[in-house]
Amino acid sequence: MREVMRLSITLAVVAIVSAALLTGVHNVTEPVIREREQQEYLEALERFFPALDDFETEEINGDQFDLVYDQDGEKLGVMAAVQTQGYEGTITYNLAVDAEAEIIGILVVSHSETPGIGDVITTDNFQEQFIGKSFEDPLEAGEDVDTVSGATISTEAMIGSIRRTVTTIGENFLGKERQAFGLEDLTDGVYRGSVEGTYGDLVVEVEFRDGRIQAIEVIEQNETEAYFMEVYPEIPEKIIEEQELAVDVQSGATLSAERIVAAVRNALEGAPEGEGGDN
Amino acid sequence: MSAPNPYLDDLSKGIIKENPVFRMLLGMCPVLGVTGYFINGLGMGLAATAVLIASNVVIAALKNFIPPQVRIPCFIVVIATFVTIIEMVLQAFQPVLYEALGVFVPLIVVNCVILGRAEAFASKKPVLRALVDGVGVGLGFTLALGILALVREVAGQGTIMGPDPESAILLFGQGFQPMGLFGQPPGAFIALGLLLGLTNVIFKKFNI
Repeated sequence: MREVMRLSITLAVVAIVSAALLTGVHNVTEPVIREREQQEYLEALERFFPALDDFETEEINGDQFDLVYDQDGEKLGVMAAVQTQGYEGTITYNLAVDAEAEIIGILVVSHSETPGIGDVITTDNFQEQFIGKSFEDPLEAGEDVDTVSGATISTEAMIGSIRRTVTTIGENFLGKERQAFGLEDLTDGVYRGSVEGTYGDLVVEVEFRDGRIQAIEVIEQNETEAYFMEVYPEIPEKIIEEQELAVDVQSGATLSAERIVAAVRNALEGAPEGEGGDN
Repeated sequence: MSAPNPYLDDLSKGIIKENPVFRMLLGMCPVLGVTGYFINGLGMGLAATAVLIASNVVIAALKNFIPPQVRIPCFIVVIATFVTIIEMVLQAFQPVLYEALGVFVPLIVVNCVILGRAEAFASKKPVLRALVDGVGVGLGFTLALGILALVREVAGQGTIMGPDPESAILLFGQGFQPMGLFGQPPGAFIALGLLLGLTNVIFKKFNI
C-alpha cells in the first residue's frame, strides 16, 4: 500500500511541476503569439483592402466579421475569420469579399490537413477558382468550383464553408437576398433529383401535389452514417413544414444536410417523373 | 596516449559511432518527414537537441527520486513538458519554422532517440555526463538531418536555404528542372537509403 502511494505521489509531483512550468511559459508566449496573429490579420486586411481606413468587428455564430470602410465611410467589403472542420482538425481562414459580395481573397491561417494531400487548400491553384465568384454564384463542388481528387474531404469542407460564409456576409452585411425557390409554378407529380456526395450520389424523390411538397424520400445515399442520422428525417420534415428550401442547416452534419436540400432543389428543377420531359 | 576522457567519449560517440540516424536508425519519423529543406531539417534537429539536452539533465538529476516502476511515465511527462515548451517558444518567436515543422514538433515527444537516451543513459549516469551525452547525440541527430535535408533540397528543389524565396539560392540557374521525387516522402526513403549505404562504406573503411 505504501509503495502504491509512493508511486502515485511521485507521478503526481512530476505532473504538477510540469503543469506549473507549462503555465509559466504559456503566460509568456501567449501574448506574443496573439499579438502576431493580430498583426497578420491586419496585414491581410490591408492587402485585400488597400483603401482601408476603418473597420468594425461583428460576430455571428462565433465567427468574426470585419466590415471595412474607406476614408469617406464608404463600405469596401467584409473580411471574415472563419473556422471550419477539415479532415483532421480545424481549418482557420480569412475570406475577403468586396461590397458586391464578390470574393477577392482567401488566406488559410492555420490547418492540420495531411501534408502533401489535404494541404492543397493553401495553394493558389485551389484558391484562385474562388476569386471573382460572388453571392449569386452557386459555389458548389462540381458546378463552378472543383474539389481536388485525393483531397475531397478537405477541399469540400472549404468549398462548403466558403459558400456559407459568403451567404452569411451577403445577407447580413451587404443587403443581398437569396431568391426564394418558387413553388407556385410546379405541376403535380413525383420529382426525382440527385447530387454528388463524398462517397456517392444522394438521390431523393419529392412528391408535389396541391401546391405543396407532400413528401420527401431519400432513395439512395452514401453519407457517413452518423452524420446522415443527424439530419434525416429532420431536414426533409423541415422542408415540408416550411414549404421552402432555405431551411436552417445548423448541425454537426452540415454537408449531409446541404446535400439533401440540394438534391430536393435538383429534383424540383427538373420535370416530374412519368410525365415525360426529363431527358 | 592519455587516459580516455569519458566526457569527450560521450560527446563524440553520439555524433559518429552511435549516430542516432546513421548507426542506430532511431527517430526516423522526423528524419523522413521534415528534411525537404535544409533549414527545416536543421530547425528540427536543433529543436530535438534542445529537448534531448533538457530531458537528459532533468532525468539524470531525478534518477534517485523516480521509482523504477513508474520511470517511463515520468520520463514521458518530462519530455512532453519540454517539447510543449519548445513548441510554444517556436510559435511565439520562430513562426515560420513552426509552420514548416508543423505536426513534427509535438511528435518530438515520441521520438525514440530522446526516450532511448533517457532510458539507456541519463537514468543511470551523473548529470554532467548526461548533459554531454545529450549534446553529442543531439548534434549527431542534427548533423544527420542536415546532411539528408541538404541532399534532398539540392536534388529535389535545386536550391539551398529555401523555401523562403528571399534566402533561397538557385544552384543551377533558372532553367534547371529538379528531381521532384526527392522533395516528396518517397524520395526521403531513397535519399536516406543511399546515405546509409555511403556512411556504412565510410565507417567500414575507417574501421569505426
